[in-house]
Amino acid sequence: MDISVTLFGGLRHYLPAGSSFNKCSIDVDEGSSLAALLQKIPVPSDKPYMVILNDEKVAGDQFDEITLRGNDQVVLLPPIKGG
Amino acid sequence: MTWQQKILRVDLSTASCDIEPLNMEWANAYLGSRGLGSKYLYEEMDPAVDALSAENKIIFATGPLTGTMASTSGRYTVVTKGALTGAIACSNSGGKFGGELKNAGYDMLIIEGKSDKPVYLHIENDRAEILDAGDIWGKTVWETEDILAAKYDDPLMRFAGIGQAGESGCRYACVVNDKHRAAGRSGVGAVMGSKNLKTIAVRGSVGTPAASREVYRKINEINARMNDREGMARDGTLAMMDVTNGFGSLPTRNNRSVRFEGANKLNPEAMHTPNANGHTNIVQNGACFGCTIGCGRICKIDPAHFSVKDRPEYQGASGGLEYETAYALGSACGVDDIDAATFAGFICNEYGMDPISLGGSIAAAMELYDIGAIDATTTGGIKLDFGNAEALCQIAELVGKGEGFGADVAMGSKRLCEKYGHPDLSMTVKGQEFAAYDGRSMQGMGLAYATSNRGACHLRADPYGHDFETTEIEGKAQVVAETQRLVAFMDSSGLCLFPSGCGWGTEDYCELVDLVCEGDWNNEARMVETGERIWNLEKLFNLKAGLDKKDDTLPRRILEEPADVGTGKGLVCRLDEMLPEYYAINGWDEQGVPTRDTLSRLGID
Repeated sequence: MDISVTLFGGLRHYLPAGSSFNKCSIDVDEGSSLAALLQKIPVPSDKPYMVILNDEKVAGDQFDEITLRGNDQVVLLPPIKGG
Repeated sequence: MTWQQKILRVDLSTASCDIEPLNMEWANAYLGSRGLGSKYLYEEMDPAVDALSAENKIIFATGPLTGTMASTSGRYTVVTKGALTGAIACSNSGGKFGGELKNAGYDMLIIEGKSDKPVYLHIENDRAEILDAGDIWGKTVWETEDILAAKYDDPLMRFAGIGQAGESGCRYACVVNDKHRAAGRSGVGAVMGSKNLKTIAVRGSVGTPAASREVYRKINEINARMNDREGMARDGTLAMMDVTNGFGSLPTRNNRSVRFEGANKLNPEAMHTPNANGHTNIVQNGACFGCTIGCGRICKIDPAHFSVKDRPEYQGASGGLEYETAYALGSACGVDDIDAATFAGFICNEYGMDPISLGGSIAAAMELYDIGAIDATTTGGIKLDFGNAEALCQIAELVGKGEGFGADVAMGSKRLCEKYGHPDLSMTVKGQEFAAYDGRSMQGMGLAYATSNRGACHLRADPYGHDFETTEIEGKAQVVAETQRLVAFMDSSGLCLFPSGCGWGTEDYCELVDLVCEGDWNNEARMVETGERIWNLEKLFNLKAGLDKKDDTLPRRILEEPADVGTGKGLVCRLDEMLPEYYAINGWDEQGVPTRDTLSRLGID
């Protein structure tokens, strides 16, 4: 199944080639966890980010426990500040 | 040593300009810019004076790193008693004015008194003169710069001045330099206008005092050490729009909500993507003096857009939306039209207004309109519905000119909402409008707003990381108190806050200051103590100005109405639980007054 993934800010630099401005669709097996999806996104380990699943923030210790469903929308946000 | 060790003191009442030595003892204790300017203001002026009286002073202060080759070293601070807040105002700006002031041989300008007619200040190295401004009074910031640049025929002359908003007493009028950089907050432009001072034109060839070749080599090393310059440049501060909207802390429709359905029309993607006419909002990046990031957005409005159609003077490239502007002139008003928000931002630069306070005040007016407290009769026929982009643009121009209902909105949302019987609808602290973060889903930011010495502000503490990590309040008071000190230090260095945390660590700021100041500054303990000294001095100023614990609070909406969606859904700001701990951490009593022991430890008399 395809999961919509959006990478905001500088994270979009790590989208697969051919992606739109900051979005891509990633194919994962039925029953895959959120952690499995995140492993398919090549953001370096030294680049921290927050994960938003269907408009709600997900804590890091829940990544393994959450099972993805079709039409899920995953957003990765960089830790920035100011304005 | 990059101090010029010189102050230019300008008395507008007597039309005199005098050069005097910088107090280096104070510089060693308060560093520069925000800190040192505040020290001078505190020592020289009764904080209880009327902000718009001749007794108020306005100080333009550089830091020790301003005008050096350190990255982001274009910063200077305007320090005065704020016209919007009645609190100390320390409004920071970039651009090229600060570096030029240093280049002309001054660390600081202290302007006092009041001219009996419109004047401007012309500075060229040791020569400073107060000149008649009769032909530029009533002109916009842009027109003023163009007229004087042509008069002096000098493309390197820099200006910091006011537009019509500052002349007409708009409470959040700002000081604009280099046409689209601004010392934006707290009404510092209204103070300048009250003195009949239109602009400061400065040109220098003295140079920044030379350090050794070795010092400059080390500065270059630290510049190169900055992380993620490309990322910070690509999206600028606007990158935050998606973060807060996703998290659920983007103030929307006067903080009725914390998520805006139109955020994707205001975000970096919208700015970079051609519209249906093939027009792209962003043209290029802009950089302040010495900056290696270039976070500024230089933008153009679609010539076919209603705001600029048949108005070619607004169809060129100028300072575009940054995150705070996009929030205030976008989500706060429920407007998802990037060109309309860009136009209102242009108007802010042209007339000299703080876009955060303008947007916050228009948002409050929209809510007053929505609940029927005002109607089209009040607004001069303008249908001030949330989301009405044309109304946003119309009101912005009226405020700039001080005309019609614009004169009411120019009072700021606190005075506006009081006038129309709904003071609770003003999203302000100490009379200053919120920045682009909601204090319910970001509890630390709520505390930071409530305790900010200059009124609601996102740049007086750094609770972002902790807030995005958790909505629990444990540890928030510590984070806010500690980062208020760090930010006060950084603001006083002459460097920009934007790279802090992401690009540079605190140790980089310490090392840079140490390279250009005498004594040991490569020392985080001294950094923290200096920042704490500055924070306490600002607090003392406010106490003497009559602001106390009752002013360290938030609007009823943030304290009693739960956030509607997002990570903080169901939460209100738990300020009453955090505030006592915050006071204790600071060494203040239960009323928020610094104790004698605290002041003694910090060397404050």
